[in-house]
Amino acid sequence: MADERALNAWFCREVLPLEGALTQFIRRNWRVPADVVDLRQDIYERALSGARSGIPTHTRHYLFTVARNHLINRAKRGQIVSFELVADMASFDAEYDRFGTERQLNAREELRRAQAGLEQLPPRCREVVRLRKVEGLSTRETADRLGISINTVEKQMTQGMRALVDFMLGGSGRISRPSIRSRIPRGDAR
Amino acid sequence: MSRTHDIEERAALFVHRREDASWSTTDQENLDAWLAESDAHKVAYWRLEHGWREADRIGSVGAIPMPAAAAWHRSAWPKFVALAACVGLFVLTLTLVPIDFWRGATDAPVARFETGIGGHKVVALADESRVELNTDSIVRASIGKERAVWLDRGEAFFDVAHVEGRPFVVHAANRSIRVLGTQFAVRRNGANLTVAVLKGTVRVEEDPSSGSHRSVTIMPGDVAFASEAGLLVTSGGVQNVQDLLAWRSGRLLFDNATLGDAASQFNRYNRKKLIVDKIASDMHIGGTFDARNVDAFARLLREAYGLKVREDRDKISVSS
Repeated sequence: MADERALNAWFCREVLPLEGALTQFIRRNWRVPADVVDLRQDIYERALSGARSGIPTHTRHYLFTVARNHLINRAKRGQIVSFELVADMASFDAEYDRFGTERQLNAREELRRAQAGLEQLPPRCREVVRLRKVEGLSTRETADRLGISINTVEKQMTQGMRALVDFMLGGSGRISRPSIRSRIPRGDAR
Repeated sequence: MSRTHDIEERAALFVHRREDASWSTTDQENLDAWLAESDAHKVAYWRLEHGWREADRIGSVGAIPMPAAAAWHRSAWPKFVALAACVGLFVLTLTLVPIDFWRGATDAPVARFETGIGGHKVVALADESRVELNTDSIVRASIGKERAVWLDRGEAFFDVAHVEGRPFVVHAANRSIRVLGTQFAVRRNGANLTVAVLKGTVRVEEDPSSGSHRSVTIMPGDVAFASEAGLLVTSGGVQNVQDLLAWRSGRLLFDNATLGDAASQFNRYNRKKLIVDKIASDMHIGGTFDARNVDAFARLLREAYGLKVREDRDKISVSS
């Protein structure tokens, strides 16, 4: 059994850098763009659970195998995706390598990326994140400085954090709002 | 509502609140319990925590991209130590008390603690916090309604007792390190500071007098390096911080360090200085050594590495 610290280190160091590639892979093999984030989260969850019995040595291959199996299962259950596509995906082994290389940024690129991510947040959200990250103000201090409630600071912060993290991991960095209803049938609902 | 969205919201709130000074042990328990509930919670939290720290770079250097900074970030502590130690050998003898002096005006009396070269001392403060001084260090402490400590020179490890509503602040160079109940080390080399956190969180702030007021919160396993130009955070893990704290048990730990770096380290602890010639300086060595036994180290260099070692009263010359 792998301990939680080792799992955390593995997840951050080896799985998360693949996020851009994984997202592309899902997007390409799934017709409903609104589902991509949910699917990715499910894939991460399954990848982590699976790694508990032993951290995989070939993370990339492992992650994409989990991803493929999950998409196939979901597709079969939901009957959203045609079975041709499922068949296509079954032969994915040879092609998953085409989905970009791992995101390897050096410190300067990371900084540039973080700044770019910050730039594209909506103004109010950006100001809250900036006060926190750059000036290091506490929630209370941020609220006082901007004359808004703590609750508002936290709302803006969580939104900004999620968008910025998405951007840091190779995504678009847009604020994501929840879809009205998830179009993926939950596995346990069937 | 999407389940992922809800989980992410919750995880983001945890990551955000955990950085705040008001984070309590109850909050931590709630977080631990929530994480233990499912792997879905864990991956969402880990992902945000990790990505959010990657974005810390913006806080670390403000808005000014510094080319030198990028190089520092990846470099390990020993390199910095070597550099700082070379420059610092001269600077160290300057005591910068007068500059910090005005901050000494608090309600409680100020106690002063000092170690000479090769010294090592543990001091218990009135609030049951402990300060462990490394070689050649000066610390002043004023423990009253406010708890303030000044690191005037050298390096110290702080084990801070958590007292609600009484912040513990370490002042050094033009920064202050605000503690939220924790264990961490601060090393000062003139205006340069290195802060390594073993447990809990601390906040490194620029003093208002320096014009700007940037700060950054650092967590266990993090090492922050502050110079006048900016502040950089590296995250090498708790084990890395433990290694940096080998001095607490009187040891020096080298992992693939150059002999030049190692000599600078030994010279912090001993009056008898190691002088290594240029070629031998580039040799790589590893291992754990008694910091105050420079003679044994020199013997090892002669016997195991076949270097020429010449001993005088106050120095040991090593050449290839």
